[in-house]
Amino acid sequence: MAFPAALFPSYFGAGPPGEAGGVAPAAGWGEYGQVLGARPGPRVAETTFVPRCGRTGESWEPADVAAVPFLRPNASCWVPSLVPQDILYRGVLHRKLRSGKSGAALDFTKQLGHFFVDHPEDAFGSLGQLLHKNFYLGNAKLRRQARDTTIRMTSLVEEINRLEARHGCPQQHFTSRVRWFSHLCRDWLFEVPLDLLADCVHDELVLQWASLLFDDSSTGGALAWLPPEDAGAHTGCLVYPGGQAMNQLYFQDVVVGEVPRTRGSPAQFELNGRIRQVAAAQLDGEGFVGVRSDYHCGVWKVPGRTGAAPTPLQVIRTNVPASCLTVSPHLPGELAVCTQSGAVYLWSVETGLQQLRQDPQTMFFRDHSPWRWSEFTAHPRVLSCADRTGLQCLDARAPGRCHLDFFKVGEEAGCQQGERVVLPMYLGRAHPSQHLVATQFAVYVMDERLPLVPVLKWAHMMKDPPLFAHVVPGGPGRSHKVLLGASRTQELLLLQYTGGSESACQLAGPPQKLHSISGCLQHLPAQLPHRHWLLQQRLGAPAAGLAAVPHARGQRESLLVFQLSEAGDVFYQTLTHEAAQPRAPDGEDKDEAASSASPMLEAPFGSTPGSPPGSGGEEEEEEIFYLSNLEVIVNEEEEEEEEGTPAASEETQHPEEPCASPHPLPAVPSPAAAVRYRRWLKALFRDWQELPRHTGVRGPPTISQKRLFTRKDLGPPAGTSDLHVRARQQLRRAMREQGRIRRWDLGPDPQPLPQPVEPAAWPDALSARLTAAWAGDLSHWWEERLGLNMAQRQRALRERRRRQKRARGHRSLSASFTSSVTYQSELSELSDGAPAAAPAPPLSPGHPEALPQVFTEAWGGSLAGGSAPGGSTPRRPPPSPPPAEPLLSSQTLRSRGIPKERRKMLRDYLAVCTEGPPEPLPEPPGSQPPSQGGQLCIPSSQSQLSGSQPRRKRPRMGF
Amino acid sequence: MDSLMERAAPCPAAQAGSVLLPALHLPLLPPHLYRPATSHEHKLNFRKSKEACLTYIQDAMLQKQWKRAAEFLTFYIESLEKDFSTEYMGPSEMIWRIGTEILCHHSYSSMKDFNSFIEQMKTLGVKRYLKVCLEHAFHLLCNGQTDEAYQNLSLAESWRFGEQTTAQDKELKLIQAYRGLLDYYSWSKQKNVLLEYDKEGFEDLSVEQEMHSSFRKAAVNLKEIIQIPGVWDVFVKCYVDLLEFYGDHDEARQVLSEYAYNSKFPANPNAHVYFYQFLKRHGEPKKSLISVLKILHDIVPSHELMIDFNTMLQKSKKRKKRRLGLEVIFAALDYAGWKENVKAWSCLARQVKQIIISEKHLDWIKQEWNSRKDWWPAFHFSRYLAKRNWQENESLAYEKALVAGILLGKDCKYFKYVSHQGCKDQKKRLRTLKKFVNKHSPVYLRISGLSDSSVQT
Repeated sequence: MAFPAALFPSYFGAGPPGEAGGVAPAAGWGEYGQVLGARPGPRVAETTFVPRCGRTGESWEPADVAAVPFLRPNASCWVPSLVPQDILYRGVLHRKLRSGKSGAALDFTKQLGHFFVDHPEDAFGSLGQLLHKNFYLGNAKLRRQARDTTIRMTSLVEEINRLEARHGCPQQHFTSRVRWFSHLCRDWLFEVPLDLLADCVHDELVLQWASLLFDDSSTGGALAWLPPEDAGAHTGCLVYPGGQAMNQLYFQDVVVGEVPRTRGSPAQFELNGRIRQVAAAQLDGEGFVGVRSDYHCGVWKVPGRTGAAPTPLQVIRTNVPASCLTVSPHLPGELAVCTQSGAVYLWSVETGLQQLRQDPQTMFFRDHSPWRWSEFTAHPRVLSCADRTGLQCLDARAPGRCHLDFFKVGEEAGCQQGERVVLPMYLGRAHPSQHLVATQFAVYVMDERLPLVPVLKWAHMMKDPPLFAHVVPGGPGRSHKVLLGASRTQELLLLQYTGGSESACQLAGPPQKLHSISGCLQHLPAQLPHRHWLLQQRLGAPAAGLAAVPHARGQRESLLVFQLSEAGDVFYQTLTHEAAQPRAPDGEDKDEAASSASPMLEAPFGSTPGSPPGSGGEEEEEEIFYLSNLEVIVNEEEEEEEEGTPAASEETQHPEEPCASPHPLPAVPSPAAAVRYRRWLKALFRDWQELPRHTGVRGPPTISQKRLFTRKDLGPPAGTSDLHVRARQQLRRAMREQGRIRRWDLGPDPQPLPQPVEPAAWPDALSARLTAAWAGDLSHWWEERLGLNMAQRQRALRERRRRQKRARGHRSLSASFTSSVTYQSELSELSDGAPAAAPAPPLSPGHPEALPQVFTEAWGGSLAGGSAPGGSTPRRPPPSPPPAEPLLSSQTLRSRGIPKERRKMLRDYLAVCTEGPPEPLPEPPGSQPPSQGGQLCIPSSQSQLSGSQPRRKRPRMGF
Repeated sequence: MDSLMERAAPCPAAQAGSVLLPALHLPLLPPHLYRPATSHEHKLNFRKSKEACLTYIQDAMLQKQWKRAAEFLTFYIESLEKDFSTEYMGPSEMIWRIGTEILCHHSYSSMKDFNSFIEQMKTLGVKRYLKVCLEHAFHLLCNGQTDEAYQNLSLAESWRFGEQTTAQDKELKLIQAYRGLLDYYSWSKQKNVLLEYDKEGFEDLSVEQEMHSSFRKAAVNLKEIIQIPGVWDVFVKCYVDLLEFYGDHDEARQVLSEYAYNSKFPANPNAHVYFYQFLKRHGEPKKSLISVLKILHDIVPSHELMIDFNTMLQKSKKRKKRRLGLEVIFAALDYAGWKENVKAWSCLARQVKQIIISEKHLDWIKQEWNSRKDWWPAFHFSRYLAKRNWQENESLAYEKALVAGILLGKDCKYFKYVSHQGCKDQKKRLRTLKKFVNKHSPVYLRISGLSDSSVQT
């Protein structure tokens, strides 16, 4: 290979990087870098100049508007990678910390708690066994003899459970019993000393946080392509991980074309850990695939002829996580392995491991990262060895002595301060002595023959450092295509460059952004919020790999780009070369695409176990669903799932920002792509629905109802009527089905109408006081009561008279207000409940709200304890409504129209009712049943004024 | 229609001056970009929308939607109004970079637009003036406007502003060097004119004078830059050409050896090549040529000159040099780029054949082979490669088969395959090859160390 006769001029300095920069958003634009004069021939006098950057390149246009799913979705319940929310503290403290700008607060206690819950044996094993006999967890009382040695823990456990149920509740306070227990046991209960454990958890949290900021474990990417042995054949092999934990390795034969198709079912291997990297090289007609997981590396051989099964060759285990595995492009069965301890090995399947270097320190300056990388070079016995500070070349024949500085983060390459090597790659397929070195700011093309000086440099401006790269060599006179992929942001860039042997390296054309996986979200049909959220999570998962396959049929060239996400989904996009023939007529293309799509997608999809029998009809419906693109067809079932996900809609906006930029033209995916989207979505949601509920981490959040009520609450109350039984059954069923508690038919006999409220009927002091309090002039009432001053009293009398007058005049107004209130509450109910359910007419007496009534009955029953057979008295006011949980929340109160200043009063009052055991009042039944206390505080001033109205049938103000 | 399009996509050059005019309204842009921002909150919003706008621009540019990017850039120019940023790259630099890039690709941009845009950009930042000038000159050069570029460079060279930073110093040196380069090109043009005249018997004193003044200007500037460590292939070549024309060989030699052997300079193979070519041009003795190439071999064993080097060494009478020649060719063939180089393989085959026939120095082969015998067979002599080489390049297959037959014996896959195919095709050349290998089959045992019989030295 020739060396360019003249290189572009550049300065060469030694030492640490000069300028302190940072991520500059436009650093890669508008520069020619340098120019080089070249005389086309000796005869031509005029010199022409060529720039290092900024030359026009080949034009590759995306064939579709977004990336298209290639394989059916990976197992739906993928174990999602850690997100900041998992380990960050959320709550009051967090807000305080954030305002103080003290950075992220890791939720240490939560993680420690998780440990105790997830590994109780490890945490409390031996003491648990020791104390086993002394802790009693039953409900029965302890016998006298047992009481000496045994403690009854039931109530403590219940209290703890209740605490958990109220997690996040501002009213949460620890009971003394729990406090007492923790105080008593803190020192001796734990198997692992708490300090030690805390240290470990803390260290782990810090590690996890660091990996959240930048996770380099997937460097290199876990997607590999083995091209067909001879260029004529169109069947290659795609190697990718899958499964819930990404521990399944698949070898899938793929027929390339503008629309790639799978052929046959993939060969599958189950591995012992999450697959981090898949590296492949093809030599002598055989493919060698290296697979790296944290503590294991394996190598497979894929025979050249299609259809032959891949065979595993060898596996090695490392004590420290491996950070790199590359396959030699020169010699069969040779690989390079690096571990995080700083060791570099040459691994030959025949001769085993040869250690080339063992140095925990970084090469050129000190950097804390244990990441190491190694690539092969043009010389099969020389390996490049990289850490964050640069690259060196090592000779495997004399690793101790022979090494050469190849790339340094420093002035030599014109680096910035803080710049670090992120991904080195051997570009051997494009040019035998070229290497790509990517940092978080720029990409460099290095030539082995000219160490330390980059032959090409370009600031890539990516938001996340590129972790994957793929090179597609261009033939003579053509440009080499380099694809750069970032993990977290899914960015994908296509660069072109030329030169290296006859002429100096030049960047050809501006870089081009390719579609990211998450970009297809906007082209999918509109989804219900929780599904949208699920899709967003799924499609926004960090990228995990990248592969590109050039393909040419006749004059028509295309480039297939496969992308793998951490969720295990493989998407592809096709780029077509502009110089190629114009696209085939649409109809033909579509037909081809559709026919090619169907065998690949149909076969695996159809074989899904437990596919619903009525899927045919469903499919048709979904088709409409998709093509209309705006119409949302909602069926009842889906809607029910939708309930109880208020959080989902909130979260939808959260991960949107990386793809903030809107597309100028809302282009529509091609019909073939649309078919693929539809099938993919269908399979995804089907898988998701089939998930067992308890693993439905992705589903809408649910609240365990087990801990909402104490056992006593759920136990059969004393006065059990038929209505109770039915109501309870309904309630239980609703809970079991996680459905909504809603009105149901109660049978033929409707409840008696609530009697109108007549405040005048209760002339006693308490009632008057409460009425006054409700009206908001308690102090006045008090003063009046005390008779503090006559003038005031007289004024008050006058005032009262005036008020009465006004009240008379306002009767009609107050009535209208009441009805408007009714309407309001009706509305709020509507928004809570199913939109499909017809709202009851506001004042219709025939359909009272069943649940409150039932609650009232049940609650009133347990409250009264059978003391007041109030039901029989004709004068009995309507049973007092329950201070059911939702009522106490200020939101509910607000929605009921109760002024803010009174909400607390009401709450306190109701709380007294719930907690205090009912005490039968001395008054005779009929005049003042205790539950009327609740009633009294309810009416607003308006209802008080309209109290005398007999027409008002539903005092729904709040109840 | 065209004028309409023009209006729809105003190029930033035209817009830069009329920032305050109502710009093209796009629904995507946050409305507060139009409002003057005063309060702290507004400042934040302004920053946010600036960033958003930049994101849109980036996005459009990365998708080659130059027109759209240009429209966004007209809005982004507003960010100059509140450019208090202490960031590494302020808005003015970004506008320059983005604007340049857009104008390079925008279908409606003309050279005039570009120039006027750049002129405005030059006034935007003092620190960046030289860089903008240099890039402007590059643009002019790439578009064939050498004279304008020259003017531009001269203008930039005379610019002075306070103290210079090191970066500015470097840029200034580059500007001078490029001006020197342009001087050199005009010199060589005038030289050609004069040579033509000479042929035809004319004489033109003014041209000659002009030529000499060009020489002086070029030489001064070029000499300066090549003393600073760096990769200055073009400048060195031009400077040496000037010196050679005026007969200053010592200076040229000095410059070249400095460029090649100064340890502050990067290990640039071209520096050695230029020195070698210079020495060869001036008929220097073989010894010095060999020593230059020996150093080149040490730093880049895979350089294409290694074939010349090997040929040169093979012709030598000294044993040591012939030994070195074998080393050189073996080392070159280690590299993946040389795998299918027929010339190199024939060199190796010839030398190996010579050694075998002379039956001397078999240990040379043995020593070279020792470090390669574990990987060369798989690297060069696999059956797969035999098949492919035979299909693609028969003479390569022949040379390799000879080497394989000698080094690995006649049972090696490569040799067997090629000789078998050759016999099938009735190739005479291969029959002789087979005969030769069969005749010398014991050599293989000795080379591979299988035979314990003492190796002849």
